[in-house]
Amino acid sequence: MAHPSQLGFQDAASPVMEELLHFHDHALMIVFLISTLVLYIIVAMVTTKLTNKNILDSQEIEIIWTILPAIILILIALPSLRILYLMDEVNNPHLTVKAIGHQWYWSYEYTDYEELGFDSYMVPTQDLTPGQFRLLETDNRMVVPVESPVRVLVSAEDVLHSWAVPALGVKMDAVPGRLNQTAFLASRPGVFYGQCSEICGANHSFMPIVVEAVPLKHFEDWSSRMLEDA
Amino acid sequence: MLRLTAGRVGSLLTRRATAALSTSSARMASHEVSETVDMSQPLYWDRLDTPLPDRPFKDIVSAADKSLKQKEKGPWSQLTKEEKIALYRLMFCQTYAEMKKPSSEWKTVMGGIFIFLGFTGLVVWWQSIYVYPPRPRTFDPEWQAKQVKRMLDMRVNPVEGFAGKWDYEKGQWK
Repeated sequence: MAHPSQLGFQDAASPVMEELLHFHDHALMIVFLISTLVLYIIVAMVTTKLTNKNILDSQEIEIIWTILPAIILILIALPSLRILYLMDEVNNPHLTVKAIGHQWYWSYEYTDYEELGFDSYMVPTQDLTPGQFRLLETDNRMVVPVESPVRVLVSAEDVLHSWAVPALGVKMDAVPGRLNQTAFLASRPGVFYGQCSEICGANHSFMPIVVEAVPLKHFEDWSSRMLEDA
Repeated sequence: MLRLTAGRVGSLLTRRATAALSTSSARMASHEVSETVDMSQPLYWDRLDTPLPDRPFKDIVSAADKSLKQKEKGPWSQLTKEEKIALYRLMFCQTYAEMKKPSSEWKTVMGGIFIFLGFTGLVVWWQSIYVYPPRPRTFDPEWQAKQVKRMLDMRVNPVEGFAGKWDYEKGQWK
């Protein structure tokens, strides 16, 4: 989750998110360089003592400031496309989970071996125990084994929602009547929070997503327990 | 001629076609390139970036001015300092020093900005008293402390972020 007054991204919990972090550093550096250059040029233009306004020919600089931006754009595009294709790689998931958006909660179904399904409602502020995170905690978490490729099939029962977990680098729209597939790999154990990312009504801000990555043994214990309780 | 017979149409069209196909430049010479005529009135201005205005500042009317202008046609080393200044003032309204002189406009602008900022601050203050709902209990210091402890136990952002800045051996911030 984010910590107070955080400015940057959350630390990556999946390899794809790591790639995205590095790409963002690269693209943002280019953006800062260009912005600094433009700001310098503006200040220079405004404070100049030169008064000759009759510049009629400027072939060389026109060539430069056409070719150079093209090169910069290529330098941004190549890493970007690399990550795009990386995300599309076949990853042979060990587990498939269905995340279904409702107004206003998520439901998760683990149907690879048994029929496990449960709802995940936000814990209201008055029911929080001291130390819990307001508007982020849910009664049931989506538990996944750590270091295992997981496929998530995202859909919705009523209106558009979006299943997003920033630390894992995942966001996928939940469209009624449609199955959208995304995948992630939790590279470290932990609890990762996200929030519904498509306006879906009055309680759109109050249907968070919590993914808990645990060692495989713990995951097996958890799923057996959930099946018994159901 | 309200009735256009086929024969007349044919001849009209033929004349149009020959006119279009004709490339005689001699026929077009009188209006191929238009004459450029500047119809603006000569203006006077004091501008740093365009130094030389269309016309002098003052018209030479009085006899003293006219004789000064005559003297200007001779060697300038014979002009006195006052005459040179008088000639300058005839030709121009302000000197470069006068044009570049700083004004106090910035004080007015900054004052206006601060007044609006101050007014906004008053509005924000009023809002915080009369409009905002009560703060959630999760903002209480005890709750925040428990939250921080929980975030550290959960290893939230352990690489470079939150828990990455906590020294777990020593039990203190790095």
